[in-house]
Amino acid sequence: MERVRTGQIVEINADTLRAVMTLLSKLKQSNYQIAVISIVLAIILAAWKPHVLIEGLQRACLYALIALPMALILGIVGIINLAHGEFMMLGAYFAYSLNVYTGMDPLVAVFPALIAFFLIGIATYRTIIKYVLGAPELNQLLLTFGLAMVMEQLANLIWTSRPIKLPLKYVSASATIGSFTFGTFEFVYIGAAGIVLAGLLLFLKRTSTGQAALAVGQNPRGAKLVGIHVDRTYLLIFSLSIALVGAIGAIFMTRHSIFPLVGAPFTMKSFCLIAMAGIGNLMGILWCSLILGLAENFVLSFRGYAGWADILFFALIVGVIVIRSRQRQVK
Amino acid sequence: MKYQKSIFLCMAIFVSILLLVPAGYAQGPIKFGAILPLADITGDQGAKAMKLAVKEINRAGGLLGRQVELIVVDDEMKPEKGAAAVEKLVTVDKVDVLIGGMSSGVHLGQIPIMKKYEKVTVWMGAASSRCEQAVGAAADWYFHLHPWDYQQGASYLEGWSAINQKRPEVKIDKWFNSYEEGAFGTASFKAGQPQFANWLTPQGKPRTLDGEPFKSAALGGGDYRTVLRHAKETKPDIFLWTGYDADALPIMEQAKEIGFAPPVFIGSPPGWPAAFGKSPLAEGVTLYGMWAPSIKEVSKVSKHFWDAYIKEYNQEPATYFAPLAYTNVGFVAEGIKKAKTLEKAALIKALEETKYVSAVGETLTIKPSNVIKHQGFTKQKILQWQKGQQQVIWPFEFATSQLAYPFPSWDKR
Repeated sequence: MERVRTGQIVEINADTLRAVMTLLSKLKQSNYQIAVISIVLAIILAAWKPHVLIEGLQRACLYALIALPMALILGIVGIINLAHGEFMMLGAYFAYSLNVYTGMDPLVAVFPALIAFFLIGIATYRTIIKYVLGAPELNQLLLTFGLAMVMEQLANLIWTSRPIKLPLKYVSASATIGSFTFGTFEFVYIGAAGIVLAGLLLFLKRTSTGQAALAVGQNPRGAKLVGIHVDRTYLLIFSLSIALVGAIGAIFMTRHSIFPLVGAPFTMKSFCLIAMAGIGNLMGILWCSLILGLAENFVLSFRGYAGWADILFFALIVGVIVIRSRQRQVK
Repeated sequence: MKYQKSIFLCMAIFVSILLLVPAGYAQGPIKFGAILPLADITGDQGAKAMKLAVKEINRAGGLLGRQVELIVVDDEMKPEKGAAAVEKLVTVDKVDVLIGGMSSGVHLGQIPIMKKYEKVTVWMGAASSRCEQAVGAAADWYFHLHPWDYQQGASYLEGWSAINQKRPEVKIDKWFNSYEEGAFGTASFKAGQPQFANWLTPQGKPRTLDGEPFKSAALGGGDYRTVLRHAKETKPDIFLWTGYDADALPIMEQAKEIGFAPPVFIGSPPGWPAAFGKSPLAEGVTLYGMWAPSIKEVSKVSKHFWDAYIKEYNQEPATYFAPLAYTNVGFVAEGIKKAKTLEKAALIKALEETKYVSAVGETLTIKPSNVIKHQGFTKQKILQWQKGQQQVIWPFEFATSQLAYPFPSWDKR
C-alpha cells in the first residue's frame, strides 16, 4: 500500500516535472518568451494605465495586420515589397471611390477589394515581379521602390494630394467604465488581425496548397523537384498578399485620412516588424507588434516623452535583431 | 513704272499694318512667372486664380497696351525644384516679375537664387520668419504678402483679447496647444511662447500656454488619443491643435471618442480636408485663416472673385490661397499700371504706394515688417465652422457671425 502510494507520488512528480520541463523548454523559444513578457506587461498596465493597454493593443494589431501580408511575400516569394504601403493606399482609395459612387460602406468594401486586389496582384506579378525573381536583391528593391513611386504619382494624378477622410459616425464609438472612457471601434483591428493570422496559419499548415507554398519558401529547387509548380505558387502567394493588403486599406481608411503618401511609413514599420520577428514567422509578428504597440503607447502616456516613442520602437527592433544575430553566432 | 508703283503700294500697306498694330503686340507680352506646388490644393487653386486674374486683365486691354502672359512652374514642394524654377523663369523665360509661393521650406531654397538676380518679386506664401531673415533688410526688390508667423501669432492674441473684451464669458486664460512634432508645428508653438509671456489678463496675471507634440498623420502618425487625454487633464479654456489637414477629422473623432470637449476647440492646419464642414463633428470648431467664403457677403471684390472663379472652373475656391493668388496678380498689375513702365526702380516705388482692395477682404498696402521693407498683410482672421460654413468671427468689421460659445458637447450634435 505504502509502496503503491509512494509509486504514485513518484509518478505524479515525474509528470509534473515533465510538464514543467516542457514549459521551460517552450519558454526557451523566442515566441513564448515574448508571450510571457507581454502578459506581465498587460497585467501591470491594466491596473496602472488602462488606456495604454487598450489603445496599445488596438495600435499593435493595426501594425500586425499591415505587416502580415508583407511577411507572407517575403517568407515565400522572397521579395521585399517596398510598394506594400502603396497597395494599402490604393485599397483605401478603392474603398473611398466605392463609397462615393455607390454609397458602399468601407467595411463592406473589404470584400470587393479582396477580389480587385487579387486581380491587381496577378497583373503585377505577371508583368513585373516575375522578371526579377532571380535578379540580385538590390534590383528587386529598386523595382518595388519604383513601383511605389508610380503608384503614389498615379494616386496624386487621380485624387490629388489633398487628404480625404470619410466622416463615419461609428469610428468614434466609445464605452465608459467608471471614469475611464475609451474608443471601441479600433477593436476591429484586433479582430481583423486575428482573422488574417488564423486564416494564413490554417492555409499554410492545413491545406496542401499552403504546405506546397511553405515548401517553395524553404527550398524552391527542392519543391520543383518533387513536382510543385513554383511559379504558380509564387503567383498565388503574391496575389493573395496584395488582396489582403488592399482589403486592409479599406479598413484603414475608416479611421485615417488618406493621401498618396499615407502608405509609405507603414512599409517601413512592417519591414521592421518582420525583421524583429524573423522572416516567415507570422505568429512572431503578432507578439512583436504587441510589444511595440504597448511600449509605444506606454512612453506616449508620459507627458514630455512623446519624442521617445519612435526611438523606443526602433531601439527595440535593433536590440532584438542584435540579440538574435549573436544567438545564431553562438550556435 | 508699273512695277515701281506696285512696290510702293506694298510698302505703304506694310507700313500701315505696322502702324495699326498696337505697340503692345510688337513688344510682346508682359511676363509674370509664378511658382506653385501644383499637386497641392493651394497650388492648384492658386494657379487657377492667377490664370483667372490674367484673363480678366487681358480682356480689359492688358497692361501698358500689352497682353499679360502667365508662366506657371511647379515646385513640387521641393526646395531644389523651387530654386530651379526661379532660375528658369529669370534666365530662359525672361519674366518681368516673379510671383507665387506657398511653402516656407521651398522658399528658403529659392531665396539665394532670387538674391542673385534681384528680379522684382511679389511673394504670396511662406510664413516662416526664417525666410524673412534670409531675404534680409537690403532686398528692396522683394515684396511679401502673407503675414509672417510672429504677425499671425500677434493677430490671434489681438483677436482673442477683442472677443474677450466684447464677451467676457469667453475665457481665454488657459491654453493647451497640441502641435505636430515637425518643423511647422514646433515652430508655431515656440513662436507662441514669448508672445504668451507678455499677454496679460486685465488684472495683470499671465495667461498660460501649455503644449505637447504629436505625430501627424502626414508623417505616419494618426493616433492623437494620448495627447488629447493630456489636454483633457489640464482642463484648458482653449484647446488649439497645429497640424496638417490629414489630422483634422481624425482629431475630432478621437476627441469625441475620449469625451474631450473644451470650451473653445481651435484647429490650425494650412488647409482643411474636402468635406470637413459636412461632418457634424466640425460644428463649432474655430480656425484661423486669411479668408473664408463667407467674406463674399461683406466684400464686393471677394464676391466678384468667388462668382468669377466658380463660373470659370465650375468649382468653389476651397483655400485662402485662391483669393490670395488672385490678389497677387491684381496687386502687381495695379503697380505696373501706376508705374506706367516695367523699369525696376519705378515699379518698386509704384508697388510701395499701391493701395489694392483685395479679394481676401482687406485693402493691401505695403509697410516694413521686423526685417524686410515691403510687407503686405499682417493679420489673420478668426473663423468658425457653423452649419458647414466658415464664418468670420474677427476682425469684427468682416464678421459674418458671432462666436458660438462654448463648443457644443458631443451628444448635442
